[in-house]
Amino acid sequence: MRSQEMTEKTMQPLDAIATDLPLADSRFENLSALIDGELTDDMAGLGIRQLSQNEAQLARHREYIAIGDAMRGLNAQHSDFTQRVMAALEKEPVVLAPIAKKSQRRPTLWLAAATAAAITWGIWQSNPRDEINPQLAATHQPATQSLEAMPYLAAHQDFAQAVISTQEMRFTKASLEIRQ
Amino acid sequence: MNQQAAVLPVALLTSLLTLNLVPAHAAEALAMQDAAVWLQRMSDAARKVSYEGVFVMQHGAGMQTLSIFNRPVGSAKESRLAAMDGIEREIRCSETGSISRVMEGGQVRLEKRLNSRYFPDLLPPDATALANWYSVKMGKHARVAGLECRQIEIVPKDVYRWGYVLCADKDTGLPLKAMMVNAAGQPLMQYAFAEIRIGGQPRIDSSKDSKVRQSEWLMPASHPTTRPISLETVNVTNLPPGFSRISAVKRRLPNKADEVEHWVFSDGLTHVSLFLEPAAHPIKSIRGQSKQGMINMVKLQVGPMQATVLGDAPWPAIEAIAMGLEAPTGNARQ
Repeated sequence: MRSQEMTEKTMQPLDAIATDLPLADSRFENLSALIDGELTDDMAGLGIRQLSQNEAQLARHREYIAIGDAMRGLNAQHSDFTQRVMAALEKEPVVLAPIAKKSQRRPTLWLAAATAAAITWGIWQSNPRDEINPQLAATHQPATQSLEAMPYLAAHQDFAQAVISTQEMRFTKASLEIRQ
Repeated sequence: MNQQAAVLPVALLTSLLTLNLVPAHAAEALAMQDAAVWLQRMSDAARKVSYEGVFVMQHGAGMQTLSIFNRPVGSAKESRLAAMDGIEREIRCSETGSISRVMEGGQVRLEKRLNSRYFPDLLPPDATALANWYSVKMGKHARVAGLECRQIEIVPKDVYRWGYVLCADKDTGLPLKAMMVNAAGQPLMQYAFAEIRIGGQPRIDSSKDSKVRQSEWLMPASHPTTRPISLETVNVTNLPPGFSRISAVKRRLPNKADEVEHWVFSDGLTHVSLFLEPAAHPIKSIRGQSKQGMINMVKLQVGPMQATVLGDAPWPAIEAIAMGLEAPTGNARQ
């Protein structure tokens, strides 16, 4: 299932932001590849086991998730969110099935949040990026979007038949395509 | 004008809301001319018939009870809706417009509403045109708030609008119950009278539960809430069939410092808002949807403007309008 080409690709050097990560095992040098879902089953399993045994790596992983959450407007949920991610890591490391994809590497921190979310829900999407899979992202409720939508919902109530609060709304990135 | 009175105990409200108003899929659609007659009859009744009563509105897990008074005045109507639970809210409508009054922390806040639509006055004054975009099917006889009514299903002919199932009073045609449904016939929200008296002359201001003096309904003249737009900020190149622009004003919105343009498109039954404001930074397109899918919205950039399309309409209607927005200069949508 996993090509040699892909395995080699995942072993590329870390993104600049992660190069100071104190890694103990040379076979698992790429935390970003792990959270990017680009490792093979064996490599991912090894990485998870190492992650759970190395407090320094675990702390860095938490930090990635926290920053990723903040970038996605999820910082308010961070504490509980991180705990759930950690619990999921401890319980079900095999959930991290790597995805065969021809990926263009993206900023590590952004992907940290997307990957962690997938673990938490026990769902492993073929591609966890929310602009491609809006349903996955829909379970998030970025506070910023709720606040931004509130004035428009309020104004539309002049014509709407139901009063909708922002808590009843879910938001996803839209990919509008021009119909031919 | 006949007089009818009926009162249901509050304990029956729950069962009332679960009354079977099922889409009459098996029924044949009326010919367009007959459909137009029924639509217009229900529309006229909501404005030209005097009535007072209490109705329940249910949306999702939420339920709200409102009292309503309505009487015809010349060719127009005078009406008052008052929330019977939660914070004090009232809406008054007359030929001069619609004003809402909300009590918040001991303060009274008056706001001019751009529209006077509410149950049971859901259909537009000229409802016959709706027959172009909706089929009408006659359903079974039912009973709501102690009155006999006839179930009438309003079925959209395309994907750009929600449908309705109404139950129209046997004698007057006044909708006693209304349910907005999606394409699968699942209810999105519903209204039902629990108590209604049809006929007579409801005295709106002397009602026992109206605590508001007439003078309190005067809008401060120095604070116009809306003003007309001067130029077309964007071009709308693609409206769903039957939709047209019914309003375009500049107004202030809650939590926004600057005025926003608020345009409204409607086929008479479905309403979609378009909000336009300068884009302070590049806009990433965001889609929003209410939990039951009734409200859809999208935010996108059109030239130098941020456009937010929002309505209680299916996603195809929102998407069609959004995709048809163009900057007047001919710049492509971004």
